[in-house]
Amino acid sequence: MSKSIHDMGWDELVLGAAVHSFKEEIDYNPSQVLPENRDYAETNSKYKYVGDWRVFKPVWNTDLCIHCQFCWLYCPDTSILSREKKMIGFDYDHCKGCGICQEVCPTNPKSIIMFTEQTEEEEALNQWPEKKGSK
Amino acid sequence: MSGNKEIKNLKAFSTAAERFEGSHVLCPGCAHSIIVREILNATNDNMVVSASTGCLEVCTAIYPHTSWDTSWIHIGFENSSTAIAGAEAMNKALRNKGRIPADEPEPKFVAFGGDGATYDIGFQWISGCFERGHNMMYVCLDNEVYANTGGQRSSSTPIGASATTSPAGSTSYGEKRNKKDMLQIMAAHGAPYVAQVAPNKWKDMAKKIQKGFDAEGPVYINAMSACTTEWKFDPADTITVSDLATDSLVFPLYEIIDGTELNITYRPKNIVAVRDYLAAQPRFKHLFTPKYEYLIDEWQKRVDAQWEYLQRREEARV
Amino acid sequence: MNSKIMELNKVEVWDGNMAATQAMRQADIDVVAAYPITPSTPVVENYATFHANGYIDGEFVMVESEHAAMSGCVGAAAAGGRVATATSSQGLALMVEVLYQASGMRLPMVLNIVNRALASPLNVNGDHSDLYLTRDSGWISLCTFSPQEVYDMNLCAFKIGEHMDVRLPVIVNQDGFLSSHTAQNIYPLQDKEACDFVGEYKPLNAMLDFSRPVTHGVQTEEDWHFEHKAKQHDALMNSTKVIAEVFAEFEKLSGRKYNFVESYKMEDAEIAIVVLGTTYESAQLAVDKMREEGIKAGVVAIRVFRPFPLKEVSDMLQNVKAVACMDRSAPGGSVGALYNEISGALFNSPARPLLSNIIYGLGGRDMTIGVLCDIYRDLDAEAKAGKLNGSIQRFVGVRGPELKYYKV
Repeated sequence: MSKSIHDMGWDELVLGAAVHSFKEEIDYNPSQVLPENRDYAETNSKYKYVGDWRVFKPVWNTDLCIHCQFCWLYCPDTSILSREKKMIGFDYDHCKGCGICQEVCPTNPKSIIMFTEQTEEEEALNQWPEKKGSK
Repeated sequence: MSGNKEIKNLKAFSTAAERFEGSHVLCPGCAHSIIVREILNATNDNMVVSASTGCLEVCTAIYPHTSWDTSWIHIGFENSSTAIAGAEAMNKALRNKGRIPADEPEPKFVAFGGDGATYDIGFQWISGCFERGHNMMYVCLDNEVYANTGGQRSSSTPIGASATTSPAGSTSYGEKRNKKDMLQIMAAHGAPYVAQVAPNKWKDMAKKIQKGFDAEGPVYINAMSACTTEWKFDPADTITVSDLATDSLVFPLYEIIDGTELNITYRPKNIVAVRDYLAAQPRFKHLFTPKYEYLIDEWQKRVDAQWEYLQRREEARV
Repeated sequence: MNSKIMELNKVEVWDGNMAATQAMRQADIDVVAAYPITPSTPVVENYATFHANGYIDGEFVMVESEHAAMSGCVGAAAAGGRVATATSSQGLALMVEVLYQASGMRLPMVLNIVNRALASPLNVNGDHSDLYLTRDSGWISLCTFSPQEVYDMNLCAFKIGEHMDVRLPVIVNQDGFLSSHTAQNIYPLQDKEACDFVGEYKPLNAMLDFSRPVTHGVQTEEDWHFEHKAKQHDALMNSTKVIAEVFAEFEKLSGRKYNFVESYKMEDAEIAIVVLGTTYESAQLAVDKMREEGIKAGVVAIRVFRPFPLKEVSDMLQNVKAVACMDRSAPGGSVGALYNEISGALFNSPARPLLSNIIYGLGGRDMTIGVLCDIYRDLDAEAKAGKLNGSIQRFVGVRGPELKYYKV
């Protein structure tokens, strides 16, 4: 395994402070290959963690979700994971807890609700609000 | 050959393989990254991207990490346009010389800059690139303020907004001048395509981005980017505030083709009062006092007049 | 090589600007982004003319300012190809911001600086204010003293900067008007010979190489910035090896030999001046006159201004009694830059010649052989007296009362 950049002195760094997105040369266009099938470089922010920014975390209620993809569309942190037109969960390493996903969720009651970071998922689902009265 | 992604609906759009990675350090709720994702996801082509110094740049390329799965460059505050123009020229040269094979698909060249980088310090560079006709797209992430440095005014800051260098105070209502009309200025360059977009109207935006990618020559996109930090609304409300912006027509969505043909691309079913848009943002809270209430009325009149103008331009086709 | 060849005579009559442009044409540059400014304007015009007549296969981008010229060059170089431009004075001042970015991103390119004074007052003539402005920019900086050298150094510059052990941008300096607009006999290489010498451009971390997406121009703070500036400095310092190799290869090809420090009659010199630019050629004539008077004068000129040849210049001055460092730039509240460099070079060496600083030729004021002879006579007197004549720094050739600073 190659040496981590964090253990490198000036002499070992890529010149010009250039940063590569992928570990090796790629023979595909990333627009055609899903993230799970890419070989990211250590220096891709993909491997960084910003989950500790969160005060509130989104919790997903699969029973209510209609997979409309608004949460995917409007997530500023690429943290709504969607595959084959279905939402499949959150990327909690990258989610900063902004709450846009809850805000744009069109179901009634909402399929995504923000809970305090400490709340267990099961506990959150138990507290899920009822459908609001007809508009 | 267009590498535009076929986007029938949002579900189809959501199958995009993202090229903008998480764990950038933009603020929670930042519209910049929503816009960037929508643009990158609109095409399958390889991309060369540049960014001016600003929020997007400092938050997505902090050594030793990058959030970009595309080629990317930042030089300075004023020159993301010229940086990408240089890359575009190199692409042309290497193709002419056969050092890039002719059958290799053309990449897209996209420059990003904030409104400070666009309306102010980088204005000349952008104008130069457009006059020269580089095949590139310039996207202004317009949040009407120097957000990266903590909220100083730019020439995109609207009248009445409180910014740190045009603060509201006992003798001032904040910014004194109206924002520059960049779209008209860029259209006046004879650009094949200019458009105002907003991330909340994603389909309108995706269509415009794809039209822009298909245009030959320099394309200008003014992207409204609601700033939770400097407009001072809750991070969860980015899309809500964006909706107020487009539905109040403070940010009308339209395009201008070849400098003349103006098309309004979004007509709100229910037009919202400008007052409601302003009320959602504490940067305007001092306007809601008897002393400055008149500015809200004036603003509404300006928006009405601009909407009227755009409709007449659209009809006139000149 | 460009598809259209220009047949050149064995001897051509070119001024320094044409010499620079011809070398640029032969180097088969991929992108030139440029903006004209006196006295380097003809470089841009000549290149445009070559382009308009089919002699340039690359792209020529006429931008709207010098800042944009260097910005376009950086974008183009990062995309992965050979890049060059030219400027002077105020134009250079405008592009300084981007000079640091080019070198920091380790992007090879060639910048012809036709040296000219910096305003205010506005002045279009040659001095070295702009050359000095690039001192700490992290570029390799080569100096030339005649149009032939401008041509030769341009060809060398591409080869040096693009070498995989270097990957740094290179400046080629020439004096405004005295070199840029002075036509002389030039012995050029034929197109193929020149292009082969420069060699093929080898891309590194190129943005147009989509098999290895790369991010250029990142933010580094206190945790990484130092390492990268250290690495950059190391590359600049160690570029001497490649510079020497390229000079040697060029000598083999052309018969013209270049050194890090050039000198004339220094073998037995007792007094010397150290100069940059065309003054070197005038000083050689002055040296010959002095020798007729029995004064053992010599002249030293810096060829490679950055990386500074500290040891070479010190070695050259070990046996002299008095040295005048000639700075053609307003010193801005201190001794001149060259004086500082030479003092630093000598301080850790056994020699302790008398060291004075002459400020001359600002804004293109002539430096004549007569005045150079007077300077040598003064140096000779100082050498004989064993002490400086009252002060370290003096202005030569300025009207009005004598200007002297730093009394000794």
